[in-house]
Amino acid sequence: MTMRVLVVDDEPLARRGITTRLSTHADMQVIGEVGDGEAALSAIVDNAPDLVFMDVQMPGMSGLETLALLSPRERPLAIFLTAYDQFALRAFDVHALDYLLKPIDDERFAEALDHARDMLALRRGRDQQPGLQALLSAPTAGPDHPSRFAVRTGNRVIFVAARDIDWIEAMGDYAGLHVDGKVHLLREPLHQLAHRLDPAQFVRIHRSTIVRVDRIAEMEALSNRDSLLRLHDGTPLRASRTYGDALRTVLAGPA
Amino acid sequence: MPIATARRLPPLWLTLLVGWTPVLLGTVVAALTVLGQTNQLLNHALFLLAFTLGSIPLGVVQRRLWRRGTSWRRSVGVLLAFSLGLAFVSTTVVIWVATRIGSIPGKFQWRFVFGSMDVVWFVLIAFCAIYMVIGYYVSMQEERLRALAAAALARDAELRALRYQLHPHFLFNTLNAISTLVVEQRTHDATRMIARLGDFLRATLDGDGAHEVSLADELSLTEHYLDIEKARLGERLTISMQIGPDTLRAAVPYLLLQPLVENAIRHGIAPRREGGHLEIQVTHAGERLHLNLRNDGLGVPEKLSRGAPDSSSVGLRNVRERLERLYEHNHAFELTFAEDGCCQVLIDLPFRRMAVQAAKPPARLT
Repeated sequence: MTMRVLVVDDEPLARRGITTRLSTHADMQVIGEVGDGEAALSAIVDNAPDLVFMDVQMPGMSGLETLALLSPRERPLAIFLTAYDQFALRAFDVHALDYLLKPIDDERFAEALDHARDMLALRRGRDQQPGLQALLSAPTAGPDHPSRFAVRTGNRVIFVAARDIDWIEAMGDYAGLHVDGKVHLLREPLHQLAHRLDPAQFVRIHRSTIVRVDRIAEMEALSNRDSLLRLHDGTPLRASRTYGDALRTVLAGPA
Repeated sequence: MPIATARRLPPLWLTLLVGWTPVLLGTVVAALTVLGQTNQLLNHALFLLAFTLGSIPLGVVQRRLWRRGTSWRRSVGVLLAFSLGLAFVSTTVVIWVATRIGSIPGKFQWRFVFGSMDVVWFVLIAFCAIYMVIGYYVSMQEERLRALAAAALARDAELRALRYQLHPHFLFNTLNAISTLVVEQRTHDATRMIARLGDFLRATLDGDGAHEVSLADELSLTEHYLDIEKARLGERLTISMQIGPDTLRAAVPYLLLQPLVENAIRHGIAPRREGGHLEIQVTHAGERLHLNLRNDGLGVPEKLSRGAPDSSSVGLRNVRERLERLYEHNHAFELTFAEDGCCQVLIDLPFRRMAVQAAKPPARLT
């Protein structure tokens, strides 16, 4: 499923930053780049992109005003770009999918794209996409979910039980399994591992963090719409806003 | 002293009420002694009328003087002369009425007027005095509130001045590290570090102005900082955090941990070839919040061992001063160096929860 993307920013270098990052995602097709709100309006009406990256502060019409002029039917999924926080929270009033702060964080960028894919799949009524929604609605504890992992320490191979894992951290091509204060390196990237884990027991809270649901003791909202989790062992973990809904759903569900 | 222009006034009705009540009571008590003697009662009633007639214009004039901020001396002169005139006029009217209705026998005579106007005059002077007292009380209250507000402003300004200043060393070292990453074409690491630096700058430049944040926000900011340090120091820096139950919403001074963590890394861990470990513990006990930072280090630094301990570290001094301004004596800050070179900072604060944030879920297009 390709996604047709429009990039709106008055600075050419900022637009390049977006299009270059998008070029590493095969399913993202940039259909246009424009430098102001007026041009964005006509590009959206003419080409009906699926997703628009929209700078908030632009000469003339701001990104927020531009989107507000469109009817809900015409309005594409929107990811706002802003250099400074104060506009970001207001962006949600015009139905933003997400917002990104400049300088752009690659992980946040990828998270926002994941989110956009999920939302587009929902919009097109196709749930078979192996996105977050599908992951959440998958049957619990299927036979496919590994109950233990083999990790190498020196010359030895030891086994870590899935139920002993507190949380998992992305470490390049490895996944760091945190067990009782120690870290075991599993030779598997986190995004692959994420699909193999039992969604009833593990939840993704960040592009680079997965946590075991029953280890979560507290959740506190941060001022930037992210949140901070506290595990039973006292470890604080940042949870990205992109995964906030999924996290709340899992936490609200049966333990 | 009260400011001359636009002084606040006690309301006129309040002054009249306060001024009238004793006169009214006095008249009633005096009238009780002459119950049954119609003429005497009438005279008391007329006396009350004389006072009332005099007090209203007097109140208006005094109000005007007060509002203009006329000097004491002038006000007293004007009011004495004016009240004398009023006493004369109102007593004349009352005596004239009294002789007409017969409550005072005989014809109207000026000596009656001069014989009784002194009492009216004194009562009017008393009325002026009451007005002054109330006026000064009100303006004193005003002054006190203003002084309190000024003190709060001064404290705010002090705290603002103490706002943590980004260490130039840290900024340029980070830029240098990023430049290295770019040269090595490790673009992903470079953008990641730039993003973290952006987060960190955004937080330290934030014009929100609050002096306290929730511990959750403070920890998140500290982690942004630690992400950068981890990228710079690699495996030489290990960190463990133990955050106790029911502490995430606790109010802590904005940027409390970051300068302490920076200090621990700069002076303790970074200079050690083998690196070191940083430990942060936060616990909530009764009405207190305890923060405990511990790091491996080189022992008491040269500079610190001379002179008073900790006097040379800007970051530490900044934290201490802010704690002092925010909590006065209701806090503790302790810095100790162990034999093995470990450095420990203990902070004890009053436990208070931040107001709940409006955590409404983001609106979405579906």
